[in-house]
Amino acid sequence: MIEDDLRAAFARHEALTPPTGPVRTAIDRAVVRRRRRRLRLRLAGTALAVVAAALAGFTAIAPRQPAPAIPLGEPPPPTPTGALNVLLLGVDGYEGRQYRLADSALLVHVPADRSRLYLVSLPRYLEVSVPGHGADKLNYAFLQGAGEPRPDLSRGYRVTRDAVADTLGVRIDAGAVLTYPLVRKLTDAVGGVEVCLPQRVRSVHTDRVFPAGCQRLDGTDSVDLLRQRVGLPDGVLDRDRNAERYAAGLLRRLQERDTFTNPLVVNSLLQHLSSGLVVDAGASSLPALALVAAQAATAEPVGLLPPGVHVEKPDLRFRLDPALGPGFLDALRTDRLGEWASAHPGQATTLR
Amino acid sequence: MTYEEFADARLGALLRYAVMLTGDPHQAQDLVQETMVRVQLNWRRVARSDVPERYVRRMLTNQYVDWRRGSWARRVLLRAEPDDLPAPADHAQSAVDRDQVWSWLSRLPRRQRATLVLRYYEDLPDAEIAEILGCAVGTVRSCISRALATLRAEYVEVCS
Repeated sequence: MIEDDLRAAFARHEALTPPTGPVRTAIDRAVVRRRRRRLRLRLAGTALAVVAAALAGFTAIAPRQPAPAIPLGEPPPPTPTGALNVLLLGVDGYEGRQYRLADSALLVHVPADRSRLYLVSLPRYLEVSVPGHGADKLNYAFLQGAGEPRPDLSRGYRVTRDAVADTLGVRIDAGAVLTYPLVRKLTDAVGGVEVCLPQRVRSVHTDRVFPAGCQRLDGTDSVDLLRQRVGLPDGVLDRDRNAERYAAGLLRRLQERDTFTNPLVVNSLLQHLSSGLVVDAGASSLPALALVAAQAATAEPVGLLPPGVHVEKPDLRFRLDPALGPGFLDALRTDRLGEWASAHPGQATTLR
Repeated sequence: MTYEEFADARLGALLRYAVMLTGDPHQAQDLVQETMVRVQLNWRRVARSDVPERYVRRMLTNQYVDWRRGSWARRVLLRAEPDDLPAPADHAQSAVDRDQVWSWLSRLPRRQRATLVLRYYEDLPDAEIAEILGCAVGTVRSCISRALATLRAEYVEVCS
């Protein structure tokens, strides 16, 4: 009977079946490829959104873990000594977006004598060496670390931190990732921040005009200002300078309210911010760092832009100036930024 | 059920089914791989169905039936491989070599071959075959009888 022959033929040829192991591996590999391709298409499709996002500067501080509440009655953790470098990353984007870029980076240098704070802007297209990836722009280092489609801000922070540390040859002792909502919350929690602008800034996002001079901004307006670069004479660099101005205003505000020195106030502020805050306190702790900041913040901070040159190829990048760069790096590494800043007044930012 | 559990349990059976459909281990692998990639990417939808395995079998069968011409080139090429050819001496002496049945299967339209595999290899009832192929039960039956008729005609040719 033909039916029986059919059954027999099928049974005989079962032996042709390939083993499942390699097939399984091939499937998984193909899935990864297909997902990547989908993502690329999606990214291309949202190119406009990316451009818009690139206009958005400041994003957020991403802590390694939720900021711990400080138990009262416990002895304060040891206060760090020596010079400190704190890396603050402002990332763009919003909840649910598939990728984040670190478009604002501020290296806060605290000298060993705690005389003042140095706010060093690192332009978002600063060329850094990403461990395992080679040279890339700073904001992409964050993207590579954070990954897609569910950005991990802590990993983004760590990869960026390592890349910056490698490139500048300095140790980064602590840091944080700031998102828009966090900046908004932080600003509102301290009752607004006074920012002093040398020139008027018009928001391309909201049409709001920030006049030249000092003004107190609430959370929403601060984020709006920190995102602006289009229309500014120096574009990204001017936006970075405005971030320094905002940081200086925030420090003044914290100082006025004795936030640094009152553990209760620090505690409540951190708890207020804790959701979504990525903070890396390094070997130290947040309260200890707050004390250090308090000491150093009594004097007016100094805003600095590293001396750099623009490179057009393969894409627009910022590299340290071959002539002035080594001197700047040396000053940063050996804790002599004050001397360097006085010798190079052109690199300083007017903060007030 | 997760995709991993499903693959652990069913990947072997799907590969065997694909071998019966395509008659060729490499093509079977391609077919299963292509299907399972889509299964994994859309696992939530697959898992929501009543019987995920039947859903996947249906995907795989459709993929096979709709497979485009591109794969024909490969198929013809593979047919020329020596171990796929029946030994010429065999059918002279006996009624019909079983491998001969196997090679006749490859000349059937794919849909007909699929119905034969589902009935005589997977031993599924007509209703389930109809569901997998997305057609009426009556269509399944006529499909099978036409396929069997074709094979019988080959028999007659060889045996006469």
